[in-house]
Amino acid sequence: MTDKTQALRRPASDQPTTERSVPALAALQLSYRVVLRQLTSIARIIALTLLALVSTVAAFALGRSDADLEAAVRLISALGFAVVIPVVSLVFGGAAVGDLRDDKTLVYLWLRPMDRWPIVVGAFLAAVTLTAPITLIPVVLAAVLTGTGGGIVPGTIIAGVVAVIAYCAVFTLLGVWLRKVIVWGLAYILIWEGFIALGGAGVARFAIRKYTRSILVDRTGVDLDLADFSTPVGIIVPLAVAVVALALGSWRLSNQDID
Amino acid sequence: MTTLPPPAAPLAPPNPDALATNAMITVNEVSKFFGSIVAVSDVNFAIDGGVTALLGPNGAGKSTLFRMICGLTAPSKGSIRVLGSDPRTDRTVRGRISLVPQQDALFDHLSAIEMVQVSANSHAMPDPKGIAHWALEQVDLADVGAKTVGQFSKGMRQRVKVACALVNDPEVLILDEPLTGLDPVQRRHMIALFHALGDAGRCVLVSSHVLDEVARLGSRVLVIAQGRLVASGDYRDLRSLMDDRPLRIRIGASAPRRLGTALVERGLVTALSLDAHNGPGHLIVDTLDADGLGRKLAPIATELDIRLTEVSPLDDDLESVFRYLVEGR
Repeated sequence: MTDKTQALRRPASDQPTTERSVPALAALQLSYRVVLRQLTSIARIIALTLLALVSTVAAFALGRSDADLEAAVRLISALGFAVVIPVVSLVFGGAAVGDLRDDKTLVYLWLRPMDRWPIVVGAFLAAVTLTAPITLIPVVLAAVLTGTGGGIVPGTIIAGVVAVIAYCAVFTLLGVWLRKVIVWGLAYILIWEGFIALGGAGVARFAIRKYTRSILVDRTGVDLDLADFSTPVGIIVPLAVAVVALALGSWRLSNQDID
Repeated sequence: MTTLPPPAAPLAPPNPDALATNAMITVNEVSKFFGSIVAVSDVNFAIDGGVTALLGPNGAGKSTLFRMICGLTAPSKGSIRVLGSDPRTDRTVRGRISLVPQQDALFDHLSAIEMVQVSANSHAMPDPKGIAHWALEQVDLADVGAKTVGQFSKGMRQRVKVACALVNDPEVLILDEPLTGLDPVQRRHMIALFHALGDAGRCVLVSSHVLDEVARLGSRVLVIAQGRLVASGDYRDLRSLMDDRPLRIRIGASAPRRLGTALVERGLVTALSLDAHNGPGHLIVDTLDADGLGRKLAPIATELDIRLTEVSPLDDDLESVFRYLVEGR
């Protein structure tokens, strides 16, 4: 056992200053690394990869049946952009800060001399790091396997990247704000985007899916309902939503009670 | 503030006007409400360097008070200053505070050394690896630093939390039930560590609901019950107050009325009643001299040819101590 008087003598070079504060970039890296390790569960990654591969398998089957471009776009939109990317983003984005809140480890980042926004942005980037390869590779591969050409692959890449960023940011915000984020996130995906937002162009403006569909439609020329924005609008609005979501999440994290 | 019953050496009730403005922790008229539930009510105290124990039963408001002191939640009323700053809003003061939370929460996928290193990095410490090793040495975990904390026992996890709290050499160290799950050797070790920190001028505030722990933690005690600070002062005064309180004891006997009469006649009990809930053979007595009663009860029963079937204290628990402190009964 260490003698206490001796033990409490720290190396002189290690003595802290009273005005110590963590630079934003260092805080962001720390949050990113901690959350990435926290989110990286083999079982979760395998399960979500299998989900994402459903779109690949379906596209492969479609490609073998000589389907046209419209059918391919509808498939990518219905499976890739309506299910795979939102659900995987929900799992990782919602858990990014939400898991830290739920298991009460958030205090190890919160009660520190650092800004709040790097915690949220680092967590968001960790969610994107996992969501992007798990979703984009199978979905883009699906677009390739349809064998229809006609801009579906670049359209899927652009819309996919935009979707991953926007969904991860929104679900990171939900994880900061709400408990049971999976329930709320599924309600958003299934009820709002999958049902209510299909009711009209006005409501659809408040659904990320409308913008990703618009990019896909704009790049392929296929006519889908409720997808009438240009590619620049389809990119800028979801990215702006992502920025606002992260800003709101940072504000909320600064002001909420921490367990 | 509830007025204490008149003990031989009354504990000093904290006086709001006497709060030192330059104390390391100042809690001024602080209340915390969760809806209609009052978790903490009009608490005042100021403490400086050294070890101070916050004593209270489970649910008394200790953790809520600690969370407010650390800025994790804002008071509904009143103000808190830690090292002269508001811990809720002042970012830099958080680098001078450390908290060992009550909940058993750690990054389970990290090794102990990584966990403590994360803590050092999050305080912008130079040489986080060296600091992490040093901190683990303080809690006797240097040998198992490479193991993931998810594999650790509750006591080891508790010590990892303490190591995390040491990395920034905090001026104010808040420990919420830090001895939970530790074996007796480790308890002694931790208590020695807290005293060493206190002796080095750190403000160490430790909560516990175990009286004996508090006796070893320090002489300065804050007693909280039902969200209110009911007493503060020297532990020995508190102990004396507790020793002076009447004890209630249930006695099972073959002739309870005769036994009760004899006990009253010999001045061993101050109150007496028959215990109808436990059958006809029981009586409940209040005594100010539990030791004397314990020594003389058996000889008296023998003398009167009465068979004793039970002697058990009814209020020898912490809750009853607090009830006595708060309500005087």
